[in-house]
Amino acid sequence: MSEGFFDGFLDDYFAECEEHLTGARRALLALESSIGDVAAERPVIDELFRYFHSLKGISAMVELRPAEELAHHLEDYLRALRQREVAVTPVGIEVLEQGIQRLGAVIGAHRSKQTPPSTDDLAARIASLAALPGGLAAPAQSASAAASSGERFWTCTFVPTRELMERGIGVDVIRKKLAEVGRIVDAAPRVAPDGTIAFAFTVATTTDDREALDELMADGIVLELAGGAATDGGLLPVAQPLEGTHFGSVAPSHVVRVDMTRLDELIQSVGDLVISRARLVDSLSRIERHVPSAEWRAIQENTLAIDRQLRMLREKIMRVRLVPIGEIFRRMPFVVRDLARESGRKVTLELRGQSTEIDKYLIERMMDPVVHLVRNAVSHGIEPAEERIAKGKPPDGTITLSASTVGEVFTIEVMDDGHGIDAAAVIAQARAVGLPIPLDPSDPQALLALICAPGFSTTADADRVSGRGVGMAVVKSTVEELSGTIRLESTPGVGTRFFIDLPLTLAITDALIGRVGGESFAVPQGAVREVIEIASADVRALEQNEVVPYRGASLPIVRLGKLLGIAEEPVERFHAFVIGTGSAAVGLAVHRVVGHREIVVRAITDPLVKVAGISGATDLGDGRVVLILDPVLIVRLVCDRAARSVGDASTWGRMLA
Amino acid sequence: MHKVLIVDDSPTLRKMVRASLAGVAADLLEAATGLEAIEQLALSPIQLIVLDLNMPDMHGIDVMKFVRGHRNYKDVPIIVLTTRNDEASRRTAAEAGATTYLTKPFLPQTLATAARSLLEHV
Amino acid sequence: MDTFILFLVAGTTYAVRSREVQHMEMLEQVTRVPNAAPFVDGVVFSRGQVVPAVNLRARFGFERTPYDLRTRLIVVRDDDRSVGLVADEGREFIKLAADAIQPPQDALAGLSGRYVEGIASIGDRLVLVLNLKQLLSFSEPLVAA
Repeated sequence: MSEGFFDGFLDDYFAECEEHLTGARRALLALESSIGDVAAERPVIDELFRYFHSLKGISAMVELRPAEELAHHLEDYLRALRQREVAVTPVGIEVLEQGIQRLGAVIGAHRSKQTPPSTDDLAARIASLAALPGGLAAPAQSASAAASSGERFWTCTFVPTRELMERGIGVDVIRKKLAEVGRIVDAAPRVAPDGTIAFAFTVATTTDDREALDELMADGIVLELAGGAATDGGLLPVAQPLEGTHFGSVAPSHVVRVDMTRLDELIQSVGDLVISRARLVDSLSRIERHVPSAEWRAIQENTLAIDRQLRMLREKIMRVRLVPIGEIFRRMPFVVRDLARESGRKVTLELRGQSTEIDKYLIERMMDPVVHLVRNAVSHGIEPAEERIAKGKPPDGTITLSASTVGEVFTIEVMDDGHGIDAAAVIAQARAVGLPIPLDPSDPQALLALICAPGFSTTADADRVSGRGVGMAVVKSTVEELSGTIRLESTPGVGTRFFIDLPLTLAITDALIGRVGGESFAVPQGAVREVIEIASADVRALEQNEVVPYRGASLPIVRLGKLLGIAEEPVERFHAFVIGTGSAAVGLAVHRVVGHREIVVRAITDPLVKVAGISGATDLGDGRVVLILDPVLIVRLVCDRAARSVGDASTWGRMLA
Repeated sequence: MHKVLIVDDSPTLRKMVRASLAGVAADLLEAATGLEAIEQLALSPIQLIVLDLNMPDMHGIDVMKFVRGHRNYKDVPIIVLTTRNDEASRRTAAEAGATTYLTKPFLPQTLATAARSLLEHV
Repeated sequence: MDTFILFLVAGTTYAVRSREVQHMEMLEQVTRVPNAAPFVDGVVFSRGQVVPAVNLRARFGFERTPYDLRTRLIVVRDDDRSVGLVADEGREFIKLAADAIQPPQDALAGLSGRYVEGIASIGDRLVLVLNLKQLLSFSEPLVAA
């Protein structure tokens, strides 16, 4: 590849690696001594992550693959630690140490031109660590924002100028100076209305050393005291405006809020693009014979490229709809804290799998149900401390909220280590309100059905602690509306687990909508070669069949209305889906093809209505079921039957019998 | 004379990028942190930014969002440098307004060609 | 003692155990499914699922009548199947003791006899308790996909 070009930088590479490795070793020691202290762990984890990321980047540039890949695995593990998917453990520290050492060895071997040691075993170990579900401590707020006693917060605004730069005073210098004076809590750029850029630092410091502060002022920094004494763990009040200038704040964020309808419009546009491309290909195929083959090949390549790019575009847009479930989980610590306080319980909240992604629509719908389950766990699940101690449990209750994906199913679990569901109490309550008693009172699903039955908890029960409005009945119906299910596992005295299973991706497909005799049907676009318009006058009878002229030959047509027993008015012109190619092509005729759209495919599972040729159902928006046809199968069955045909085959039932 | 800003916290990378752009007719400026990059932008007109994403003080994505959100700099072309297997970053980078990206390792001439063509349209 | 849901089909009162019933709703429109069993009116969406609508009139050999405001879809559960039963009218819930239900006599006329598990007397009414499994099976062969 670029052998030789970047080789001149190997010295720089080795030097920088040494810096990163040394830093990583130091950070690892710091991490080891702060295991379990979430606030202290956080910045060290970030630091380690950056070291490995940098090592990965430069190793990639000098094409030292083993180092790049090992650094990549280490980076992944650090990412998992950073996102609190796994916890820091002594085993983890040990593996990190080995990782750093092996990296050093690989790089060193490159330097002395020897064979590098293997890294596969270590890579595998690291990868398995990154995937292990580990216990997690409650997510802390930005640890550095909480102030220690005696600290005061200052906001410092620095406006860079060429003149200051010439004197050697730039933003980096300022930052270093501020770091000497105190602890930098925040540093961000700001823009004034006239476009001037400034930098705002928030520094926590105990120093009252006016001299040091004055020196800074001379350098062109404006220092202001913000908000007085340290506040209680929250983030700081906004900096005061600078002498009449208002600084707008630029919110650094990776996130854009997008309206769901905009996304749908985007998807619609992509769909239109797909149709246009299909039409283009069609037009091109008509001129194929006029084009020299070299040119034609180029055209083919281009259309294939467009095809591929369209597919990727569509996929990317669909992915934008996926959002990490951390969005819901983020609220939970507040919910738990408030409730725990009100009910006098002490509760620890553990969160897992926050980066698991889920459709945004699902997140919106599941927010309330999950909050309700968590509230229930706090107010009805966890016992008072004395009771817990008597049972040999830790005095603080633990609620674990986790999300995971297995195959096509996304599962949210709410687990508590409280007293479990009291089956007898549930049955008694059911009796009291007149609900049917299950045959097997110990069956958790039966208990769940009771708990979720409308009318189960009366208003007398509805604790102000667990809130009103969203009852278990609504939780259940919401989950079911999303085609999901709820499950319950409970052990008296030990705890309770609620599982919500949701289909991760609704099967979505592009479809053309055809209307026949007032009814709509969906036909998956992939099966359709093209849509043509036919004049009734052009239809010819040929033995048992009907044909129309098509591309210089004949196209047999099959009338969907006739197949489905739907009465149709005679019309002058109608549409047909062309299914299949060449001599096997068949036109599936409808009255009109009214549009193209993306549909959510719902399965038809019950044997009573599972029939050949219908591949599912969808809702076009009015709550009515619209059947999705399998045109290829329909056409095949019709043709097979026609080939063996005896007599009149005018209803589908007979044709397929 | 065009000015190109190279933003990367790795001194080795900055040297490599500088060497790759040696044949391009432009002044090469450097910044090792996100804040310094923005400072450079404030102090002199920049026609092209070559940006690494992972920086200690301010993530490259946030730098891009800032640049794209500022009326004076929103059209400055940005080439983002990413690592292999980092699909998520590429997506975020594209959404945040990257003009194009290069994956490490890249050929020096690839970067030079990209830089030249972006500078031509300035 | 079991709780039952009562409903009317062609003038006769039928009962199904309430634990087998998921819910009951008004019926608006059903989408016809070609080549489904002849007593199936079609499919509807119910709580997000596609559910067949079994016309009990047709099932019991009566003439179909158009749906009106009293028509009800009773969605029942059998194992992991959810199926809707189209009834003329929904009635009350009652509790029946097991010994209040008599086994059906051999001479019970009409198709519904096949699906009746027992008969109960409530005041001057006769209530036919349905055997869901039989009701939901199908006698005509369907074409496998």
